[in-house]
Amino acid sequence: MANRTVQFEIKRQASPDGPAVWERFELEWRPGMNVISAMMEIAANPVTADGRPTTPITYDSNCLEEICGSCAMRINGKARMACSSLVDNLEQPIRLEPLSKFPLVRDLQVDRSVLFKNLMRVKAWVPVDGTYDLGSGPRVYPQQQEVNYPLSNCISCTCCMEVCPQFNEQTGFVGAATIAQVRLFNNHPTGKVLKEDRLRALAGDGGIQECGYAQNCVKACPKQIPLTNAIADVGRDVIGQKVKDWLRG
Amino acid sequence: MATAHVPAARPHVPQVHRGVEPLHAGEGTSFIWRKLHSLTGIVPIGAFLIEHIISNWEAVQGPVAYGKQVYFLNHLPLVRALEWVFIFIPLLYHGLYGIWIWLRGKANVVYYPWAGNWLYVAQRYTGLLAVVYIAYHVATQRFMGVDLPNHPAAAFWKVQRELANPWILAFYVVAMIAICFHFAYGVWLFAAKWGITPGERSRWRFGWVCGVAGFILMGMGLASIWAFVSARYANAPENPSLGFQGSESRDQRTALALKPNGLTVRIGNPSQVADAHAGL
Repeated sequence: MANRTVQFEIKRQASPDGPAVWERFELEWRPGMNVISAMMEIAANPVTADGRPTTPITYDSNCLEEICGSCAMRINGKARMACSSLVDNLEQPIRLEPLSKFPLVRDLQVDRSVLFKNLMRVKAWVPVDGTYDLGSGPRVYPQQQEVNYPLSNCISCTCCMEVCPQFNEQTGFVGAATIAQVRLFNNHPTGKVLKEDRLRALAGDGGIQECGYAQNCVKACPKQIPLTNAIADVGRDVIGQKVKDWLRG
Repeated sequence: MATAHVPAARPHVPQVHRGVEPLHAGEGTSFIWRKLHSLTGIVPIGAFLIEHIISNWEAVQGPVAYGKQVYFLNHLPLVRALEWVFIFIPLLYHGLYGIWIWLRGKANVVYYPWAGNWLYVAQRYTGLLAVVYIAYHVATQRFMGVDLPNHPAAAFWKVQRELANPWILAFYVVAMIAICFHFAYGVWLFAAKWGITPGERSRWRFGWVCGVAGFILMGMGLASIWAFVSARYANAPENPSLGFQGSESRDQRTALALKPNGLTVRIGNPSQVADAHAGL
């Protein structure tokens, strides 16, 4: 009896301006294999299904336990983490494509630096640098921790941005992840010193107003972050800030 | 002459994806315009839609009741200013800016066929249908044919004649359903995006509120369309008397003012003129 095999179709592109081609691979099935482990096997023996030698697949990955956020890609058309995509749960042939909304580097690797630029533009940090010891921070009550913890789970995978119909080159929408981080840092007792700056930043072009509330973000998020709740809460805060600024201006 | 160097055409012109720009933090005016679009959908446009459907409900009571309602609306103080400031200008803005929003979105319901994503797409198609329908409806019913502000009694007759064409009737029915959906889902979206319903459960409950309200509006709207085409008010008179002084059309008023003693000037059918006399 022939060994059970797994079929892959992978979209390859050697450079950002090169042509895209599909390659087929056939691997021996192993228990518990996931998309990343399959690509590791291809790297060990880079030969296509029709026996032609090729190059190993280029992709980002690191932790292999859905905590680093590196290995987001489109698997059978949907954006998700490759490490937690078990082959046994996927329809074959398994089609792998790079995320479509970010500049391509090579094969399945894309440049997601826009998220980090966005996080910088909304000052998604707690400002504690200074010339003297500020001492310990204020207490965060357990009730507040319950709200903040899910938001702090963001792994910057950008799945929420990839699946969003409003996140594109025309709108320049900031995306759900950044909005959720604004909620997180505005909730922080020390981080909230920058609250007004963050809210004003989110009212800029490409800001929170571009959200169409299609709610794909919350469906796609591998960490179950309450993104739609965050958009509602931050949306209200941004409106409040703009009204205050206008009346005080 | 030396042969000019012609670079060989590249067989493949790659499209390098530049990606989405980072946030323009605090810059630009899109926030205010987008929020204005959102707000105008509720007031005044949503409020006007409710008023319109309640007014339409008078059609179920017949041509005279409907004519009286049209008379009442057209005798509100500053009615022409109200019409432009609270109806035409907001509608034009909401419609055109809405199309602009649609053009910049990139629907992906094929890949992500989830409920919210379908609603996102439906909101755009129903909005476009609403723009096309309302443009037609305002042009034909407000600005063409019998001038209803001056002839309120003719309102039922005018709409009935319009709906006698089955294609136009179908257009009205589809548009009524689409607009009621667009409004109900728009209210739900407004509550979500303005942070009125920031929780899963509150959005779920408010979804029911908007859904039920939307179906009630839709039912009332379709019932009023039915009133125009049902046998009950078939062949409605063009100029029924509304039964009170001043309700006559301008032509009737002129004719009555010019009426010499003891002489009947006939406008429309004799019974209408008799009614008009009774009111004097």
